[in-house]
Amino acid sequence: MRPVFKLTVFLLICCFGAIAQQNTVSYNGYPIDGNIKKDSTINAFLAKYRDSVSKTMNNVIGFSVSGMSKHQPESGLGNFMTDALKNIGEKIFNQKIDAAFVNFGGVRSYIPKGNITVGSIFEIMPFDNLLILQKVRGDSLISFLNHIAERNGWPLSGITMGIKEKKAVNVMIGDKPINADSVYTIANSDYVANGGDNTTMLKVFPKINKGVLIRDVLIDYVKLLTEKGNSIDVKTEKRIEYVN
Amino acid sequence: MLINRKTFLKQTAFAGAGLLASPLIGSGFAAENKEFYNLTILHTNDVHSRLDPFPMDGSKNSGLGGIAARATIIEQIRKEAEHVLLLDAGDIFQGTPFFNIYKGEPEIKAMSMMGYDAGTMGNHDFDGGIENFATQLKHASFPILLCNYDFTNTALENKTVPYKIFQKGNLKVGVFGIGIELKGLVPQNLYGNTIYKNPIECANTTADFLKRHGCHLIICLSHLGDRYDDNKISDEVLAKENYDIDLIIGGHTHRFFTEPKKYVNKKGGDTLVNQVGWAGLQLGRLDYSISKTNIKKSIKPNTVLIRGKS
Repeated sequence: MRPVFKLTVFLLICCFGAIAQQNTVSYNGYPIDGNIKKDSTINAFLAKYRDSVSKTMNNVIGFSVSGMSKHQPESGLGNFMTDALKNIGEKIFNQKIDAAFVNFGGVRSYIPKGNITVGSIFEIMPFDNLLILQKVRGDSLISFLNHIAERNGWPLSGITMGIKEKKAVNVMIGDKPINADSVYTIANSDYVANGGDNTTMLKVFPKINKGVLIRDVLIDYVKLLTEKGNSIDVKTEKRIEYVN
Repeated sequence: MLINRKTFLKQTAFAGAGLLASPLIGSGFAAENKEFYNLTILHTNDVHSRLDPFPMDGSKNSGLGGIAARATIIEQIRKEAEHVLLLDAGDIFQGTPFFNIYKGEPEIKAMSMMGYDAGTMGNHDFDGGIENFATQLKHASFPILLCNYDFTNTALENKTVPYKIFQKGNLKVGVFGIGIELKGLVPQNLYGNTIYKNPIECANTTADFLKRHGCHLIICLSHLGDRYDDNKISDEVLAKENYDIDLIIGGHTHRFFTEPKKYVNKKGGDTLVNQVGWAGLQLGRLDYSISKTNIKKSIKPNTVLIRGKS
């Protein structure tokens, strides 16, 4: 009996003294993947929403004869997007916009030939970026345009310029040469206005924000052009080109 | 006398052997031990309206996520675990066409169906406007917890609560929520008259209240973000600057933690932080075993040993 008793006391001390007092936690992160059976109640609940979501996504809002894709330094798709920001933006903010921009990396897909659906616009603009206006001084705008030139050209509207040795040259804004001392109203995504893609020169300027998604601006522009009887085929027009 | 001693030996030997043998079978240890209260916490964050799996378009998340699959896992765990709390750390809204069209109704309804116990608000939950969030909350069977937003004179006035205390068996669990600074992050017209208050101060006041009301475990649902390179307030800052929080379930920064991070708080106790990325790609699980002995002498701050994967 004696050794058993000793062992018991030892066990009591070691277990209750050391382990039993310690709170413990174990963890796991369950990956949710296609191998897991879908809960039928939740799946049925989602079905009606899903059906009308796809109906909305498949909703035809315009037509493109030739389709549009992204290219540098300039592309029809980029011109379409920045024209949308400028035109619809002027209506939303009820003021003149001198220039509008989209960062090249933010254009995620293309507009196919044929019907343009709401889903097509989600493809090119899946991000929930907001349309932002900023009133910037000409010298900062020039430094932003140099940034665009260094990156081989981004979509823009309201400006024409050349790219020479990674710098913006011959910059015209509203048909006048850019003035370093003037103040210009420019439209960007909140991503760029906040200094995304290293556009730090824009960060200091106050942001005018109405919580409008860029995607909704694009959708509205397609609808507007369609109402006017136009197909969505924006051409390149040497807004931005390499010069020697 | 002899019988009594024999019985005593038999019982203690049995208890001792049980304790020794149990670690060999991993997490089963706690579940089979009468010295502990068990609580399983399931959590999500930044689901961003990802109700269906990512589309099969060749991108890296194709076919992953989706609430119908998540619901299956949750139900399975509920069948096995003794006590479960299902929590969300905000940004329920925005990110798929579901939100653009339905403004969050299916998200909130589905969370109610899945039996969420509580959630908090992320910055994107203001995306449809504060009135919209108030409207969608009518579909919620769970509370939205926030202790550092003052919603006086907004559509959310009296629609959220700072904390909720859950009785899980003998365990009293206090859960509260904190939100991120909205200025500069969310357009002012969307959050309206909401006043943001210092999250550290509010968290400490609320956690102290919960402690004094006998909560054995205190959980903070946070949308602050786990950590930043500058001095911005984060879960990491809160973890170091608090007194009574056992666990911060975080979000906003979309980070997938491989395991919970442990910090020493102001009382010398442990505060854990965990986060499971975004889009409902993962369901987080934490299995707590709280020592009954510790609870009886609750003067000491809680410390916790991270045991590994459950």
